[in-house]
Amino acid sequence: MSLLSIASRRIIFTFLLLSTLLMQGCAQHNSGATLSLYERIGGQPAIEAIVENLLYRIAEDEEVVGYFANTNIDLFAESFATQLCDISDGPCRYDGPPMDRAHQTMGITDAHFNRVVAYLDIAMRHEGVSLSARNDLLGRLAPLYEDVMRLR
Amino acid sequence: MHQPSPLYRRLLLMAATASALLIALPSSAGSRILGTGAVSAIEGAAGGGLSPWAVLSSTASDNELGATASATQAWVDDYQLSVASASINVHDRLELSMARQTFELTTLGGELEQTIYAAKVRLFGSVLYHPWGIWSAGMMHKRLKDGSVPTALGADDTRGTDAFLSASKLLFNAFLGRNVLVNGTLRNTSANQGGLLGFGGDQGGRAWMAEGSLGVFITPNWIVGTEYRQKPDNLSVAREDDWQSLYSAYFFNKHVSLTGAWLDLGDIAGLPSQQGGYVSLQAAF
Repeated sequence: MSLLSIASRRIIFTFLLLSTLLMQGCAQHNSGATLSLYERIGGQPAIEAIVENLLYRIAEDEEVVGYFANTNIDLFAESFATQLCDISDGPCRYDGPPMDRAHQTMGITDAHFNRVVAYLDIAMRHEGVSLSARNDLLGRLAPLYEDVMRLR
Repeated sequence: MHQPSPLYRRLLLMAATASALLIALPSSAGSRILGTGAVSAIEGAAGGGLSPWAVLSSTASDNELGATASATQAWVDDYQLSVASASINVHDRLELSMARQTFELTTLGGELEQTIYAAKVRLFGSVLYHPWGIWSAGMMHKRLKDGSVPTALGADDTRGTDAFLSASKLLFNAFLGRNVLVNGTLRNTSANQGGLLGFGGDQGGRAWMAEGSLGVFITPNWIVGTEYRQKPDNLSVAREDDWQSLYSAYFFNKHVSLTGAWLDLGDIAGLPSQQGGYVSLQAAF
């Protein structure tokens, strides 16, 4: 009885693990074949609306907005929209400054970084971007953390 | 009918009141993303319920402080476990926690009480941003209040210390467009049934045990998953099995979470196949 129950519990756990991994493979296969992330987000108009929405949220955050004191906001908005378009496989190529140089000696903290990530997610939600597209984009942006923070 | 201890009832009431207030009045919270502080594991550390995870409690980030308080109740066939726990998070680097466990032997009669003091240090990384995830190491010092039952069963000690190494990572967009949280923990322990049946015994002592969990964020507020915790088997008179759970945790906001789980704890102190439910309420500041 007891040996059997241990065995059965191990089997259930392994099964759950395997089925998750297998279904993950299927999910990637299906979504990859149809629409690009850029299209799932809603293309350039949606990306521009997201960036504008994000900038309003940053403007209301007294601590974060300080980092933009010497920034040309129009240029930043255009550059960030191009970067989002590029990273979501849209028809753009980001050729602005690399992320480490762009954030050099700004003294960005994890707390401020996290807040901007949260604003971006809320902005996407307000512009009607689906959860899976949001997760996909955030997952593509997440590795930029190391570059952004490298020369802080 | 079993009566929870007065301390436990008072903490539960406090947690419930704080939670009600916090749901009604969302106020300032830590800046880490919702859900990245996990919930309170039964030993007090931030984790999934049965096992500590590498993430630190609350949503405090590098220049912030956080605190949590939680009340947990588990019912299996012949036992009940009540846990009151609290933790603080200093700058997302150090987590200190304390848990008081009361283990009611509903069928055998009597109860066992254990206090756990724990510390967890984030070694490096981030559950969201680092390619290797977040890595933490920790210690848990456990003391039984009255060790007569564990000693009678053959346990060597009534206090002991676990050491653990834990890694957690969120995989974005990994399962049907949802984010998946993976955690692995290696624990060096001599604790029988987590320490409630003492430490060490006639069949063995300290050993490395593996624990793991896998959860899917169905929404940013709601994670469903499973946990597995390998356990030692040190007492010949009280065979011990690995633990397993299926859990669902809902984060109302950064301040309040409610976790429900189905537990399969195997044999405990001679009574076979202990299964049942688990509910845990956490308030975070």
